[in-house]
Amino acid sequence: MQAVVVKDLTAIRRSKGVLIPMILVPGLLLVLLPFLIGLAARSHAAPNVDGILRSVPKGVARPILDLPESQRLVVLVNGYLLAPLFLIVPLMVASVLAADAFAGEKERSTLESLLHLPIPERDLFYAKVLGAFLPAVLVSWVGFVLFAVVVNTTAWPVMHRIFIPTRLWLVMILWVAPAVAALGLGVMVRVSARAKSTQEANQLGGAVILPLIFLAVGQSTGLLLVTLPLAIGAGALVWLVALVLATGGARRFTRDRMAAAI
Amino acid sequence: MAHAAIETSGLTRSFASRPAVDQLTFEVAPGEVVALLGPNGAGKTTTVRLLNGVLRPDAGTSRVLGLDPVADGDAVRRRTGVLTETAGLDDRLTLLENVVIPARIRGMSRVDAERQARLMLERFDMAGRAGEKAQGLSTGQRKRVALARALLHEPDVLFLDEPTSGLDPEATRDVVSLIATLAREQGRTVLLCTHFLAEAGRLCQRMAVLQRGRLQAYGRPEDLAAQLWSGLNVDLDLGGPADDRTLAILRGARGVIRADTSPAGAAVCVEGRAALPSLVASLVSREVPVYGAVPRPPTVEEIYFALQDGERS
Repeated sequence: MQAVVVKDLTAIRRSKGVLIPMILVPGLLLVLLPFLIGLAARSHAAPNVDGILRSVPKGVARPILDLPESQRLVVLVNGYLLAPLFLIVPLMVASVLAADAFAGEKERSTLESLLHLPIPERDLFYAKVLGAFLPAVLVSWVGFVLFAVVVNTTAWPVMHRIFIPTRLWLVMILWVAPAVAALGLGVMVRVSARAKSTQEANQLGGAVILPLIFLAVGQSTGLLLVTLPLAIGAGALVWLVALVLATGGARRFTRDRMAAAI
Repeated sequence: MAHAAIETSGLTRSFASRPAVDQLTFEVAPGEVVALLGPNGAGKTTTVRLLNGVLRPDAGTSRVLGLDPVADGDAVRRRTGVLTETAGLDDRLTLLENVVIPARIRGMSRVDAERQARLMLERFDMAGRAGEKAQGLSTGQRKRVALARALLHEPDVLFLDEPTSGLDPEATRDVVSLIATLAREQGRTVLLCTHFLAEAGRLCQRMAVLQRGRLQAYGRPEDLAAQLWSGLNVDLDLGGPADDRTLAILRGARGVIRADTSPAGAAVCVEGRAALPSLVASLVSREVPVYGAVPRPPTVEEIYFALQDGERS
């Protein structure tokens, strides 16, 4: 099993088509965007966010409204609004890697030689899942550390303290992000069984990102603001869905089905 | 009695209710090379997948080295080596990694896997490129690396799906010679799926002809030929094309079924080897010089096409 994980990780490391989105998306979301927000907050022309805060539940708005006006933009955007957007990172990375691991083997005509090796189907499945899940969580965590460094550094002149990670961010990182990575994987495992190429798998599985977009839109318009209990509950729900999908995928992951689809 | 290395009984597998392999029954003795012949879609690759436990049969049974591929798939696969029709190399990995990783999956230690992989790459003349990525290799080079991977763990049974397609003549000769050596000197059993009938003729002791998943014929080429044609073909070297007088002598000789002229003399079909000495004697006694008489059993190619023609008619 370890050898299959090593094979997949080595191949990922050498594949620009896989590596570039894995670096670019977290780079934009977790480094560039908070950096620009930090710079904006430091300028005298920083936008007033009180209008937004008036439309969100009082329980969430009050702690931010209690802050000095100069700190509100930074805390609202980096502390709250970016949290659901951050989930795009584990979802995207897990999906890209799972598509590469499952549908990609078909596309590269390497699946058959793999099926002819003496490795139990379960081990092969878990190796493929781990080969996508571990990098997805690792990229998310490394991305978050960079995010925290950038946010705290750029916002220091305004905040004068380290304010990330918040409790919401910790729940997002440690509980929700792995769940979302597992969800992306679960979806892709199912989709890849039918897809002939990674592109087809990505297209079929792309819909999984829609709930996150709704979440992000809801967050930014104040219609739905992710609070701590909501994050914990949503994480549990996502874990459940992901496990159901992955278990079903594991049941369907047989040599016979895969060989018949070559 | 020793177990057959491979045996199948009524093996059947369909895809979308179309039979890919239909009631396949045959056996292969240990150390034997059997050629699995047939047009595209005849069921050759499906047969290999069934025998290696990659596909499950809808009906029938098979045993490989005494093991059931359905129940003991991994045990079977540990003792078999497979060369798939497409070499199946990962372009992003180096040649060495493409050979070492499957060996590691087979349970070899890293050190052993690397040592064996380098030896095998050396054997297939690819050692100099071991550290290069597989991307950009020619079809023949990919095939060589895939062969190195298939042979690395010294399997008892080899399933070779088109092992020489894409190889240049020199590499083809090397691979054919290697397969012969593996069977003859090392006692490995080889199931060879190929479109190259001359290659099959050089290597196989028995041939199986598949047509739309069904076993059309199975046996030693000479036995199949005997079922198709009566008599033995003999090339007579007469120092030049036989003239009408010589042809008349040949056609009138005892045991001769037919005789035709050929560039070197005559192509004769006799009832059996026993008819040859008297035939040559009758030519010599009538002052027709005979420089050679070479029995020429039908080639695998001739047998294959005769079977196909029979199927069509």
